[in-house]
Amino acid sequence: MAVRFFHKITKWSWRHRRYLNSWTTGVFLITLLISLPLLVISPEMLTPGSEVWKHMLSNLVPVYVKNTVVLMTGVGILTFVMGVGTAWLVSMYRFPGRNIFSWALILPLSIPAYISGFAWAGFLDYTSPLYTFFRQHFQTDTGAYLFFNILSMPGAIMVLSFALYPYVYLITRAYIVRQSTMLFEVSASLGRGPWGTFFYTALPLARPAIIAGVSLALMEVLNDYGLVRYFGIDTFTTGIFAAWFSFTDTSAALKLSGYLMLFVLLLLLAERLQRGKIRYADTSGKYLSEQRRTLKPHAGLLAILFISLPLLAGFIIPFGMLLYWSAQTMELFWDQQFWQLIRNSLTLSFLAASLVVVIALLIAFTTRTFPLWVIRLFAKISTLGYAIPGAVVAVGTMVPLLWLDHQFISLSLTNKYLVTGTWIALLYAYLVRFMAVGYNSIESGMQKISISMDEASRSLGLSIGNTLRKVNIPMLKYSMVTAFLLVFIDVLKELPLTLILRPFNFDTLAIRAFEYASDERVAEAGPAALVIVLTGFVPVFLLYKFMEKKVYDRT
Amino acid sequence: MIVLEIDGLYKKFAGSSDFAVNDFSIRIKQDEIFGLLGESGCGKTTILRMISGFEEPSKGCIKIHGNVVFNERVCIHPEKRGVGIVFQDYALFPNKTVEENIQFGLFRFSSKIRKEKSDKMIRLTGLEGLGGRYPHELSGGQKQRVALARALAPEPGLILMDEPFSNLDSLRKNQMREEVRRIIKSTGATGIFVTHDTKDVMAIADRASVIRHGVTLQTGTPGTIYNTPKNEYIAHFFGKTNVLSARVCEGGFQTPVGFIASDTPLPSGTTQVRLSIRPENLELSDSEMDCVCGNVKRESFAGEFKEVTCTIKDIHGKDIQLIIYAPADHFCHKDTCFIKLKNNTPPGILDV
Repeated sequence: MAVRFFHKITKWSWRHRRYLNSWTTGVFLITLLISLPLLVISPEMLTPGSEVWKHMLSNLVPVYVKNTVVLMTGVGILTFVMGVGTAWLVSMYRFPGRNIFSWALILPLSIPAYISGFAWAGFLDYTSPLYTFFRQHFQTDTGAYLFFNILSMPGAIMVLSFALYPYVYLITRAYIVRQSTMLFEVSASLGRGPWGTFFYTALPLARPAIIAGVSLALMEVLNDYGLVRYFGIDTFTTGIFAAWFSFTDTSAALKLSGYLMLFVLLLLLAERLQRGKIRYADTSGKYLSEQRRTLKPHAGLLAILFISLPLLAGFIIPFGMLLYWSAQTMELFWDQQFWQLIRNSLTLSFLAASLVVVIALLIAFTTRTFPLWVIRLFAKISTLGYAIPGAVVAVGTMVPLLWLDHQFISLSLTNKYLVTGTWIALLYAYLVRFMAVGYNSIESGMQKISISMDEASRSLGLSIGNTLRKVNIPMLKYSMVTAFLLVFIDVLKELPLTLILRPFNFDTLAIRAFEYASDERVAEAGPAALVIVLTGFVPVFLLYKFMEKKVYDRT
Repeated sequence: MIVLEIDGLYKKFAGSSDFAVNDFSIRIKQDEIFGLLGESGCGKTTILRMISGFEEPSKGCIKIHGNVVFNERVCIHPEKRGVGIVFQDYALFPNKTVEENIQFGLFRFSSKIRKEKSDKMIRLTGLEGLGGRYPHELSGGQKQRVALARALAPEPGLILMDEPFSNLDSLRKNQMREEVRRIIKSTGATGIFVTHDTKDVMAIADRASVIRHGVTLQTGTPGTIYNTPKNEYIAHFFGKTNVLSARVCEGGFQTPVGFIASDTPLPSGTTQVRLSIRPENLELSDSEMDCVCGNVKRESFAGEFKEVTCTIKDIHGKDIQLIIYAPADHFCHKDTCFIKLKNNTPPGILDV
């Protein structure tokens, strides 16, 4: 029996010896390591659970579910209306300012939702310039906040939607613009007016793109901790924090994470399934971008109004508030502590981004050179982290790291935690969470390089490693820089994961901004938030350039 | 000297029940240019990839310059095999100039020798003055010259070409066929190329193999394969032909259109064979003398000749269609024509 098994193994490894080498083994181990935090969460869901968990399950979880569902429904509807509406107007019609709007509409992406949240609260609170103005000139008094209490579910839905609609806008616009004009001309020739064409031709046609965009926005809702926390809304994410920090019950935190992850994976699966049917109907003929209709003046005005609202609410107002506060707390910019924060944030982002780029490059190159299904599978799993909320990733990362530390201690190698609560833990978690950002960028760049380039290099005598170094990397420069920048910015503004895993007394720009805002010192949060937003312009610009290229690149 | 020696090569891809390559064996001599010919998906590219090392055979033995590069115990990496490759899409590094591309495989030499060698290749391939250009600034034919120069620069001894002419327009194709043959011959390298175009084989190959469903059907010089194809598939693959039944008689065959001399030994007891007779081996005559009478069905103008289709009776008395290439100015007066076999028509005996 054992002999036969051994024989089988040797036979298998002989057959696959081409695939057994340091590249595949290394990448297999790396992807396994990256997948580990997501894999350890699921078994925890099957255990019976502690008293804390029972308490949470009966008293808190129903509230979490309700709030999360209401929040997602509200944000889903609003981002759909704003995203699709703006995408339709910008891609189908010509009106004054259309070109500016087409890129300005994605600016809200540069402001993290939690910053937008406290900026909006500050914009409407009792001491805000707006409220002061209304009070002095119109004797308005609507309590602590102007108009309505923004720190509420409707307020959260509104602010989140204004922050997240660009996902829907970007993807839908890219999709509509790529459709052939003929489809819309046929619709018009069959007697449908512009509204009829929109509802009966464009919406069904763009459905996969719209759903993809809305799902992205919803995943961001699930990921958000800062805004819901600030607005006092208990969701799954805040629940994980409560279990972790208030109840200090790892198992309960893991269970909550597990259910949240399950939910996200279902969302992801549903989105993938419907996307499977995407067909770019007709790539011949003229593209919409060449045949935009000019709107009549009054219709053009309406279009401008419709488009200005999300731009104003999603970008101009929060950004304006940040500028206003930063001007008030200018002296903070020269503060020693502030520079320490910047140093922390930049170092952390730089390290994480470099790590992601190097590892993504290795994974993409190895799966390309040795197409083995095991490695492909783990490469896929290791890029799932981006869909998983930061708090879940953080909790999932803690489990193997704590285990490791306990092993060190039980082996009497040390008497304190070596990994948990260090930069290593933080970088590991960033790797898990943001692998996909880097990988997708590098992988798509890699796909554009014909495999015969690699083969040409090897037939000319270069080893696999030298082929990567001398052929692939020089041709991937642009993709690598993009990947680096995207991860860099994501780490810079990341909040929930960093909050859970950061070393003791270690602050980043994002954490400090959030803490100032939570401590009612919102003006002092201005400079840190402003730095995050200004850096955030870079990927927004990149994203826009990328989408443009994708849309207009016909070959 | 034998440069490449392949014995009993098999390849079965995972998830497939058929062999992509089935018992392929070949010996290729120094200085020879060898063609692997077949329709797409016949396994010819797989053979090329197994020789270069990018695909691993399921079974078999490959020797290059007498050294085993693959058998059941050995599998040498592609970079160690010393085989030059010209890819179908040329695979020129887009971020490198022509000169840098050519020098890419010369990394073991000093920069002075690199320069010398690449200058030599540039002269040989007629790329003078283009060394500083980038691939996107070149025409299709120039790209192919660079690809060839790059593959030949490290003096690999064996050079593989995957569909070398498929990306060229027909005018440039003819020109490049001659060029490629001249360049390879002048470096003394041995060349193997894969193609689905019989014209490539006839223009540049010294010998060729016809492959179908992974099985080698026939190996020989292009002329031999063309004139005496082994079966009907090869006969039709190499161009238009007439497949006729003929009676075996003393010293040859009696066909419906006349006698063909043959000294090919046949299995004893064979009384009837099928022959491939190319349209250019038939001619139209003005008189009935020594001719067979046929009914003209169709005439079509093909430039340098005219294709005439007519029907005759075969040896069993059934009507069959015959294609004849007549001179372009030939004019059939009536519906009837007189058909004659040319002298020295080679006997293309099928399926023996």
